[in-house]
Amino acid sequence: MNESNKLTIKDLINIGVFTALYFVVFFVVSFVGYVPILMVLLPFICPIVAGIPYMLFLTRVRKFGMVLIMALILGLLELVMGRPWPVVLIAIAAGLCAELILKAGQYKSVKSCVLSSGVFSLWMIGMALPLFFGYRDSYLAGLVSGYGQAYVDTLASLTPDWAFFALIALCFVGGIIGGLVGSAVLKKHFKKAGMA
Amino acid sequence: MQAQVDTFRITGERSILDPRVGMLAILTVSAVMIGGSITGIDFWLRLVCCVLPLLGLVALRRWRFAVVYAALYAFALMMEGAVFQLTSGAFNMVVMILGGLISRFFAPVVMGYCVMQSTTVAEFIAAMERMHVPSAVTIPLSVMFRFFPTIAEENGAITEAMRMRQVSGMRRGLVKRMEYELVPVMMSTVRISDELSQAALTKGLGGDTRRTHICEVGFRARDYVLLVLLSAVLVLFVVT
Amino acid sequence: MIELKDVSYAYRVTDADGNVQMRPALKKTSLSIRAGEFVVLTGGSGCGKTTVCRLLNGLIPHYFEGELEGEVLLDGANVAAQPIYETAKRVGSVFQNPRSQFFNVDTTSELAFAAENQGRDPERIRRDIAVAAERLGLEPLLRRSMFALSGGEKQKIACGSVAVADSDVVVLDEPSSNLDVEGIEALRATLVLWKEQGKTVVIAEHRLFFLKGIADRVLVFRDGEVVRSLDAVAFAMLTPEECVGMGLRATDLNSVAFPAHSIDESPVVILKDVSFHYTKESGMDIPSLSLPQGQITVVIGRNGAGKSTLARALCGLNRRAKGSVVLGGETIPLSRMLSRCYLVMQDVNHQLFTDSALEEVRISVPETVPEKLREEKAREALRLVGMEEFSEQHPMALSGGQKQRVAIASAIAANKEILIFDEPTSGLDYVHMRQTADALQALRDLGKTILVITHDVELIALCADNVVRMDDGRIAESYCVNVENVPRLVSFFLNQPAQQPAVAVTT
Repeated sequence: MNESNKLTIKDLINIGVFTALYFVVFFVVSFVGYVPILMVLLPFICPIVAGIPYMLFLTRVRKFGMVLIMALILGLLELVMGRPWPVVLIAIAAGLCAELILKAGQYKSVKSCVLSSGVFSLWMIGMALPLFFGYRDSYLAGLVSGYGQAYVDTLASLTPDWAFFALIALCFVGGIIGGLVGSAVLKKHFKKAGMA
Repeated sequence: MQAQVDTFRITGERSILDPRVGMLAILTVSAVMIGGSITGIDFWLRLVCCVLPLLGLVALRRWRFAVVYAALYAFALMMEGAVFQLTSGAFNMVVMILGGLISRFFAPVVMGYCVMQSTTVAEFIAAMERMHVPSAVTIPLSVMFRFFPTIAEENGAITEAMRMRQVSGMRRGLVKRMEYELVPVMMSTVRISDELSQAALTKGLGGDTRRTHICEVGFRARDYVLLVLLSAVLVLFVVT
Repeated sequence: MIELKDVSYAYRVTDADGNVQMRPALKKTSLSIRAGEFVVLTGGSGCGKTTVCRLLNGLIPHYFEGELEGEVLLDGANVAAQPIYETAKRVGSVFQNPRSQFFNVDTTSELAFAAENQGRDPERIRRDIAVAAERLGLEPLLRRSMFALSGGEKQKIACGSVAVADSDVVVLDEPSSNLDVEGIEALRATLVLWKEQGKTVVIAEHRLFFLKGIADRVLVFRDGEVVRSLDAVAFAMLTPEECVGMGLRATDLNSVAFPAHSIDESPVVILKDVSFHYTKESGMDIPSLSLPQGQITVVIGRNGAGKSTLARALCGLNRRAKGSVVLGGETIPLSRMLSRCYLVMQDVNHQLFTDSALEEVRISVPETVPEKLREEKAREALRLVGMEEFSEQHPMALSGGQKQRVAIASAIAANKEILIFDEPTSGLDYVHMRQTADALQALRDLGKTILVITHDVELIALCADNVVRMDDGRIAESYCVNVENVPRLVSFFLNQPAQQPAVAVTT
C-alpha cells in the first residue's frame, strides 16, 4: 500500500462518497427551515447533524487536501444549483482553515478534528452572505436617490452586521457540537465494529 | 431522510448548451441578479439576466414553470420598480423584502435548474476534464453524483427496515431515531465506498495516460452566441 | 499464462480493541494457468479463493493491506511490481455485488469506462460498445440509468464493460451470488462466449451447476490451500455425496436429493384479495392464497414476478397494497400486519441498528413485557440461534451468517407469527446454507409460519414443505414438496420442460 501523502484513487473515491453523504445530510436537515421559527436556527442545526458523517470522513483519508477538495466540491455544487456565487470562495476559505487545523493535529488528534468540524461548518455562511452585504448594500444604494440617507440608515439597522457575526458564531458552535457527537458515534459504533 | 437531491440528469439527449457555457450562465445570472443595483445600466443587465432562465425553461418545454416564473418576475420587478416608490413605512418594508428576495435569489436557482435538467453527469464531467480540471476534483465529483441515488436507495431500505422493526417512531426519542437511521447509512457508505474503490482500480482509473471520453461536448453556434452575450453582460456589470 | 509461485498472503485486520492482527488467507500456493484456460476456484467461505482473484487483478497488494510472499506473474510481469492500472489493461474483473461495482450513473458510460481510462480513441470505443452490446445482448440496456436496472442486468453491464475493454484475462469473484435463474443463464452465456474467444477465465464460485461443461479445471480450496484439482471430466463425474463431503454446492441440480419428510395437514393463513399496482398493466394480484401454518413455504419465480412485492405487502410495508389476511379466524387488513410479520431482508445490514447483538434483540421485545424481563427474553432468543457468546459484539463486526442469525433472534424475541426471508442464502457456501436451513427448521419447530423467497434449490430441498410459484404478479401454481412434485420444481430452475426420467438418447 502506498504510504505517501499523495491522494490515491481510494482516497478520492472516499472524498466523493463522503461529500455526497455530507451534502445529503445537510440538504435534508435544511428542510427543517421550512418551519419558519426554526429557520433562524438552521445554521446551528445543520452543522450538528452534518458533523457526524464529517467526523467519520476524517478517519477514512487522513491526507492533506481531503477537506479542501470536499469544501470546493460543496461550493461548486451550491453554485451550480444557483446559490450566490461567493459561496465558493467562502467554502474554499473554510475548507483550507479546517484542513490546516487537521494538519496541525496530524489528522489524528481528536481535539483538532472537532475544532476543524467547527471551522468547516462555516462554509455554509456563504449562502447567507449576500443577505447582509452584497444584496443589502447595492439595494440600499439604489434607494438613496429616492428616499434620502436617513431613511436608508433606518432600513440598514434592521439587518445589522452583528447579526452576521452571530450567525458565524452559531455555525461554529454547531460544528463543534457536531464534531463531539460524531466522535461519540465513532466510538460507540465504528470502533466497536472494527470499521474505523 | 426522505428528500431526493436533484442534480444532473443521468441519461438523455445531448444537452442544449455546452456545460461550460451553462456554468458561465449560472455564474453571470448569480452575480448580476444578487449584486446588481436596481437603477442605471444595472437595471437593463438584470433584465437580461432574468430573461435567460425563462428562455431555458421554454427550451426545456417546462411551460407551466415558465409561466409561473414570468409572473413572479413581473411581480417582483414591479414591486422593486414602482410600488415601493409609492408606499412607506411597514408596508414599504414588506414590499422591499418580498420583491428583493424573489428578484435576487430566484433567477440563479432557476438558471441552475435549467442547466442541470439539460445536462447529463457524463457531459458535465467531460466538460470539466476538457477544462483541465485535475482528477483530484473530477473523480470525487463523479463519485458524488453516482452516490446520491445510492444514498437514497440505502436510506429507503433502512427506513423500511425501521418500520418493520417498529423503531421508526419517536417513542425512543429523536436522538435514538436519528442514530438508528444515520448510523446504518454511514455503515453502508463505508462498505460501498470500499467496494467501489476496488472496482474502479481494476478498471484502470488513475492511469498515466490521459482519459478519453465518448460523450460529445463542444461549442456549437448557440454556445458562441451566448458566450458573447454573457461576456458582454459581465464586462458591463464589472466596469460600471 | 498466469503463474503463482509459492504465494502466501495474510490480511492486516483491526479487531474491536484496536489491535492489529494478521489473518492468513493463502498458504504457499503455486499454480499456473494456461492462456485460454477456464479455471474455477471453489471451496467454503474464507478458503482463499477470493484472495487468489485479488492477487490476479492486483488488488493485492495495491489495495488490501497485508503481508505478501512469493510472486504472481502475468506473462512474466510481476503483478505486485507494476502499477495496478497496468494490470487493469490485461485483466478485467467482475465482482460479487452488482450495486457497488459501477462507477458511472448511466449504462453506456459504464461500458466505456475501462476503455476510456486506457485513453482509447472515442470512435473506437463507440464501435466496441456496439459490438459487445450485440454479442452479449445488451442493446435494450444501453443509455439507461444504472439505478433502474435489476441486479442481473447490472451484472450484465459489468461483464459488458470487461468485453469492451477487451481484456484477455477475466477474473470473476462470486459473480452469481446475487443473481436469479435468468441472471445465471445470461452469465453462463457470456462465459461460454469468452471461452470461445480464447480468453483466460478465472472464476471463484460457490454455485457450480452452471459451470459444468465450460470449466477446464476446478480447484477446491480449504484453509488457504488447494486440496483438490479436478479436470473437466472429473468435475463432471463428481457425485452429490462427494460434493457434500468437500462442503461444495451441487454440480447438478437434477441430482439434488430431496429428503422425504411427511407433511401434516395444518390450519392455514389465508391471503385474501391482495393486490398492488405500479401501473395499470403491471402489478400483483392474488385473489386467494393459503399458507399452511407452522410450515415452511418457498416462493419461487422469475425476476419481476412479484415475489418481493408479495413479501412487502404481507408485512404491511407497502402502504398502497390492498387486501387482508385471515390468521387464526381473525381477519386482519394488510396495514396492520406489521405487528404480526417479521421480514429478514436480503441485505441484512439494513436492519441492524444498535451497538450490540443483545441490544439489537432487546429492542424487538414487545413493550408489554416488563422492563426487567426484556433482557432475559433477548438472551433466550440469542441462545436459540446459537449466538449467545456474541451478545456483546457489535452486529456489524459479525459475519454475514451471524448477522442473519441475530436478525432471526430478534424476530423470535418480537414474538411475531409470520416470518419472511428474502433470499436468505444468496452468496452462502454449502455449510452456511445448511446452517440457515437448520435455523429455518428450528423456527418451524417453534410453530412459526415461514415464507422464504429463494432461487436456491438446495435450500428448498433441505427444508421446504410447500412451494408457491409466481409469474407476472399472479400465483402460477402452489404445491407441497413430495416425490411427484420434485421434477416440476427442479425443471423450473433448469429452465426446461419437466423431463421424463431416464430416456436414453443414442446417436
